Amino acid sequence: MANRSGSVYGLTILSPIKDDLHAEVSHSQAIRMYLQTIPQDQRSPLARVSSTHMARLLVMDDVVYFGMPSCEEHLSAKYLIFESNFDGDLDTYLGRLAREAKEEVDALWQHCQDYPGVEDEGAFIAYMKKCQVETTFYFADVNDKTVQQTLRALQTQSAVATFIEKNQGKPPDELQKEFVKFFAALRNAPEPMPGSGRAREVTDKLL
Amino acid sequence: MSKLDVTDIQGFALRGYNFPFARYLFVKILDKRKGQECLGRFIGDVTTGERWDTGKPRTTVNVAFTFKGLVALGLPEASLLSFPVEFAQGMKARGAILADTGRNSPRHWDALWQEEVHAWVGVHGQSPQDLDKQCENLQEQLQETGGAAVIGSQDAAALQIDGKFSSKEHFGYTDGFGNPEFLGVEKDAQPGQGKLKSNGGWEPLATGELLLGYADEAGELPLAPLPHLLANNGTFMVYRKLHQNVATFRRYLKEKGELYPGGMEKLAAKFVGRWRDGTPLELSPDGGDPKIVADKNQNVNFTYGNDLAGLRCPVGAHIRRTSPRDAFGFNGKLVNRRRISRRGMVYGPYVREDQEVRNEDEHGVVFMALNASIFRQFEFVQQQWIEYGNDARQGNDKDVLLGNHEDGGKFMIQGTEDPKNPPFLCGGLPNFVELRGGDYFFMPSITALRMIATNSVDPR
Repeated sequence: MANRSGSVYGLTILSPIKDDLHAEVSHSQAIRMYLQTIPQDQRSPLARVSSTHMARLLVMDDVVYFGMPSCEEHLSAKYLIFESNFDGDLDTYLGRLAREAKEEVDALWQHCQDYPGVEDEGAFIAYMKKCQVETTFYFADVNDKTVQQTLRALQTQSAVATFIEKNQGKPPDELQKEFVKFFAALRNAPEPMPGSGRAREVTDKLL
Repeated sequence: MSKLDVTDIQGFALRGYNFPFARYLFVKILDKRKGQECLGRFIGDVTTGERWDTGKPRTTVNVAFTFKGLVALGLPEASLLSFPVEFAQGMKARGAILADTGRNSPRHWDALWQEEVHAWVGVHGQSPQDLDKQCENLQEQLQETGGAAVIGSQDAAALQIDGKFSSKEHFGYTDGFGNPEFLGVEKDAQPGQGKLKSNGGWEPLATGELLLGYADEAGELPLAPLPHLLANNGTFMVYRKLHQNVATFRRYLKEKGELYPGGMEKLAAKFVGRWRDGTPLELSPDGGDPKIVADKNQNVNFTYGNDLAGLRCPVGAHIRRTSPRDAFGFNGKLVNRRRISRRGMVYGPYVREDQEVRNEDEHGVVFMALNASIFRQFEFVQQQWIEYGNDARQGNDKDVLLGNHEDGGKFMIQGTEDPKNPPFLCGGLPNFVELRGGDYFFMPSITALRMIATNSVDPR
């Protein structure tokens, strides 16, 4: 199934944006204005939905016309596009989105046609699935690891590098003693926070 | 493609002159009309790409302009606005992309670069007296016309070791190997210099990777200013004064070399991918070999396809990052649009390994690179291959020698169970090299120089 690459689910949603001639600010503009206020770091609502690897929200206005010899075409509506790579199954993820990023989801999708809101989770999930198109292409770096496994791996890699830096060349028994200590510290290290790409800072504290 | 008109192309764009001495003058245009007049008188001195059938001249002279220089010389706005954005912005404004931050940021550059530099005049010569004579001539022209003034200069010279000119730089590496070959540019063909063919051989890169007005590796014309006559046979030059912290380098190499079971010289070789005598690690992993260094059919003729794990040449070694050949797969096709022509020149006196040396003393390399697109070629190499490691699968690790490590970098040396070639990690990397100035320049053809000098650039 193309919507899944190993354990990672690739979600693509296109929701038609309302077209209201009488609106003071068009719905697509309102979405763009709201998107510009969403933080992109650890404070991102999508960091809250912690099974998200990466996600993107954008507005697609229309088909861009490049001039002859291409033919001029138009979409029937503007679309809010939501792309997300996450762990687990779709229903669980959409459910988490409805609960854990409720305010942002409402603020964005209220500008879309037939959006039922998030209060009725079943209706929300059904709506999002209706807007789903098949994902056929993934970011090259998508692998078969969960977000937590990835963050852990980065933390471990960085910690091991620091360990080697400090201990390479020591006599075997001393090295082993240091390694046992290091290994225990690493195993007991707290899980890295979602959105905390900078594993180095975490491990520096750890060691 | 058609034959290149070498009489219309500045010689410096086509080849390194291999003179032992150089002086780079930095010029400010004082007045548009007088500046044009001054340029007009100067054009006859400019060295073209013509062959030196009767032997090397005593000196060569070349010229290139910053965007502000072209403004000062009165190019029409329609032409100015057609230049690539990165050139118009200049190197200072590109600092965030280039990682010219912290100690490499413009506020730490030489006083010269705190001023507005309009032109670079490169003089190469066989002796310091030749340089002086040529520069006096130039000064006279500037003074007589009153069109421009020299606001600074940079001397450079091949290191003299035991009374002989050497091709070494201050860290002790033999430098100057490997420059790409381009279609139509006459040069002794050397296997390993151009782009890889599917049969494992080498062929020249498209002319448009170096010169404006010719098809590049994508079969497109590189982005160039209007009118075409202003751009054709011209190129863009990056000038960077790279200060070398020689004391730091020697101390670090000694300290880590004592820990590294392969020894200090091998560690130095692992940093760069060549032994300090110039022998490529890929061809001779256990020691330098003067026969390979001297053999033009060998000294740049190697690939990494049989050493993907980096057991001979580390995956993050300097020459493997900056000219990856086939290291990223696809038979080298990913790198053909990222090649630059280097024209490096050392400055500052040689200090023997057994003599005391200070970081503050003037030691370094004047790095000059020529390319059709600064954005696509030089800036990409600097940003992605020197200051970032993802393409080389080195994560955030930077180039060990050139990286702006800010005392926190690391460099991984891959290895085997062989006790003389074990894996080894170099941590706590300091900045071995610091940026002390530079800018982006446009090096016009002789025709374009005449157009600028006669105020006849017409973009309509």
